[in-house]
Amino acid sequence: MDVKIRQIGEGEQEQVLICCREVTEEVQEIAAFIRSRQGSLSGVQDEKQYEIPISELYYIESVDGKTFLYTKAQVYETSYRIYELESLLRPKHFLRVSKSMLLNLMKIRSIRPALNGRLVAVLQSGEEAIISRSYVKDLKSALKGEA
Amino acid sequence: MTLRQFLIRKLMLFFTLSTLITIAIYILGTSFDPAARFGYDGFLSPLIYAGVCVVPSLVTWSKRELKLRELLLRELLQFLLTETIVLGLAFRSSVIDTSRPAVVIGIAGSVLVIYLLAFLISWATNSAEARETDRELQKFQRLHGVDLCVSNETAQEN
Repeated sequence: MDVKIRQIGEGEQEQVLICCREVTEEVQEIAAFIRSRQGSLSGVQDEKQYEIPISELYYIESVDGKTFLYTKAQVYETSYRIYELESLLRPKHFLRVSKSMLLNLMKIRSIRPALNGRLVAVLQSGEEAIISRSYVKDLKSALKGEA
Repeated sequence: MTLRQFLIRKLMLFFTLSTLITIAIYILGTSFDPAARFGYDGFLSPLIYAGVCVVPSLVTWSKRELKLRELLLRELLQFLLTETIVLGLAFRSSVIDTSRPAVVIGIAGSVLVIYLLAFLISWATNSAEARETDRELQKFQRLHGVDLCVSNETAQEN
């Protein structure tokens, strides 16, 4: 496998692109390594502690005073409070969309309207999350790079 | 939603209703009393009816986000109050012949149609906003390199 590194300008987004004929275990490992370098959060599932790459999180929800991290198919409990994660994950494109939920903007497939001025975010996993009216303005600002 | 945002929405509703009520008065008037003639004060009646019809919509005000069930209940209450107020005004009016059942049914029906149209207009505005936000999202994701290629999870057990 060829390894190429290309320097880019200030305005361009840094990225690692893997071009492969098949997504093999080796490719998965490389991708996992790159993701792990982008940061991770500790979460507990079935009394076992895991390190979950931030880029794999779909959303974070606070339920009954507990905070849960949601990936495509797994749920982990974390000791962080949602307001702590809100500031921590803001640079990683996570945004508060309701009192109890932070959403990974990179995991939203589409946005559609809901009743009463609210919006619904359809995630890449097929799940749906309500974007509260009071957070719609913040979402628009974030998408325009104003926040 | 703040009270200010809520009142701005109600102001928009007022203008929507004014237009729809003007159309309803034209249709009902030409159907039931085509010979009637009014003075300049006749221009005020759509505005008065619209103002009166906005008042019941205040029941949908809530500082916290309403659940779908709560919202639908309040919308129903708003509709029933609007029907009551409009029919009450019609029965007290000297120019509307409420002794004819067709007139009463026509007024009640037009309240329902206007209510549904106002709801549809609000939904269309909301849909346009959602489409615009969706376009912005797609642009944002393209700019920041959305990760669609490898979806297998890689959480590491400690």
